[in-house]
Amino acid sequence: MDATTAPHRIPPEMPQYGEANHVFELMQNMLEQLLIQQPKDPITFMIEHLQRDNDYVPKIVILGPPASGKTTIAMWLGKHLNSNLLSVESLIAKEYSSLAASARTHYQKFQTLPNMLLVRLLQERLREEDCVRRGWILDGIPETREQALLIQTLGVSPRHVIVLSAPDTVLIERNLGKRIDPQTGEIYHTTFDWPPESEIQNRLIVPAGISEGETARRLLEYHRNIVRILPSYPKIVKVITADQPCVDVFYQALTYVQTIHRSNAPFTPRVLLCGPVGSGKSRQAALLAQKYGLVNVCCGQLLKEAMADKSKYGEMIQPFFEKETAVPSYVIMKVLKQRLDQQDCVERGWVLHDFPRDRDQACLMDSMGYKPNRVFFLNVPYDSIIERLTLRRTDPVTGERYHLMYKPPPTMEIQARLLQNPKDSEEQIRLRMEQFYRNSAELHEFYGQAITLNGDQDPYTVFEYIESGIINPLPKKVP
Amino acid sequence: MAVTLRGRLATSQFGAMEAKSSRELQARNYLEKHRIMELLTYLTSALLFSRPEKPREYLISILEQLRTAKVSGMAFPFFMDNSNITAMFQMLDSSNKGSISFIQYKEALKTLGLCTADEVLKDDGHGITCEKFMLEVNKKTQEICGKTKGKDSESYRSAAELLLLH
Repeated sequence: MDATTAPHRIPPEMPQYGEANHVFELMQNMLEQLLIQQPKDPITFMIEHLQRDNDYVPKIVILGPPASGKTTIAMWLGKHLNSNLLSVESLIAKEYSSLAASARTHYQKFQTLPNMLLVRLLQERLREEDCVRRGWILDGIPETREQALLIQTLGVSPRHVIVLSAPDTVLIERNLGKRIDPQTGEIYHTTFDWPPESEIQNRLIVPAGISEGETARRLLEYHRNIVRILPSYPKIVKVITADQPCVDVFYQALTYVQTIHRSNAPFTPRVLLCGPVGSGKSRQAALLAQKYGLVNVCCGQLLKEAMADKSKYGEMIQPFFEKETAVPSYVIMKVLKQRLDQQDCVERGWVLHDFPRDRDQACLMDSMGYKPNRVFFLNVPYDSIIERLTLRRTDPVTGERYHLMYKPPPTMEIQARLLQNPKDSEEQIRLRMEQFYRNSAELHEFYGQAITLNGDQDPYTVFEYIESGIINPLPKKVP
Repeated sequence: MAVTLRGRLATSQFGAMEAKSSRELQARNYLEKHRIMELLTYLTSALLFSRPEKPREYLISILEQLRTAKVSGMAFPFFMDNSNITAMFQMLDSSNKGSISFIQYKEALKTLGLCTADEVLKDDGHGITCEKFMLEVNKKTQEICGKTKGKDSESYRSAAELLLLH
């Protein structure tokens, strides 16, 4: 038999490196640019692309009806993200461009621009160095479906599209109070956003075209167009309601713009669940293992299996179990290493719970090369834990496990003979919880990118939170 | 991972589109002509194999080596050296006879990109030994490297195939 048809044993360092450095996304972006530009000399193009390193610069489109606050939001985002703001006015006002000059004459005569001209202007502007390096924010472009399609054909595609929405009556009323500062170009409002300095107040002017009739006409046109623009950007649109204070809209927009979309990168989950005793770690691990095929690795279970198998590690562990003291970390680590190195763990990923319990164990695991890529902390208040654990009972005859509140026994006869595990007494639970909380601050510090969840809910709700934590990319730290 | 990567890149770019518009055909032709997918597979494999601290700089250095090698005809930095050729021979010769059959030899050369499917090779009936295999591979590599003194994409294409570990 040919040796090459045997399954490949890929060393786990490779996928870990690929995930940590986002190799897939890097290659995907490069391929996208190659296909859009189709340069004659791909190698030089690829070198330049890699040197530019602009995969994550902002590429945002902000759309919305008149008076929704698009320009304000766009300006604030531009300042915050240090990016360039482009709107129809700014494109026309450009100097040193023949296209812009012809656009100006057209605009003066007809008050609108032909689509092709606008799109060409945009393309010219986006090719400039500062847009390439720092990204761009489009305010109110594209206005119609034709423009959207033309922009797409030229290979310009935004990563985030924000659509502001508000009821028409609110917008018409809001537009009546609009005032513009002629020097800075900032937009103020007589009721909602009045500038504090009196010198700005004095020089504010009333812009043209804000009467009710005018606004209503523009709203009509907007509604006609927006419906046909949105299908061009299926997965990257977020609708934010503009009927709230400006600052709130801005913060929602900022959070959205800083999220990374899910990519197609291959991903093997290596999940770590931490939490005090009774927080539901085993339950969640079992659910994850069942739904996603991950290997459920419970440390306590592993040690008991080692003892039952009477393997050499089992013999090392036996005396500690008999004396009821904690098994030393290096022994646990050896047993764990043996399990995590097996082919099914490497291929399908694992869910680990019940270890590490403190910072030293976490460091040890990290140094042996087992780095989880998702860490969850389950928070449950003390009373809930007591309720969950002290009411556990076992039936000595059938071996069935019951809970006096969540899964009560069906008949009085069974209830009469139920027994409680001495480890489930309140004292014991309190000791174990305190032990966990002593070490939890250090663990939080060690696993910087951990996700903390409220474990005090229905298990399937918690499971959904865990799922979304695993599936969505980890949030990038704001620089 | 490189194989899944390539598969996923290909499907994510071209999805399940049935109708082949002219732009899509144009894009596919571009990929074929410049062997982009193979190049990307090579880059990803090299990256995952060496795992450098700074992936972008490493990729830039490989690409620059490729570029200068293409222009000046110098030897490529490629995966297969003599120990790899011996290992490949041993994999083909699973029963340790000391020689491989002519069909295996031809398939191996095709895998390495050193001969096309239509080329006719001499079959002297004795089987190919390890030394002969190594000799032939090196000779063909030199031939193709020599051809890359030109700047056209044809010669670059065949040279790029040497870099690929299929």
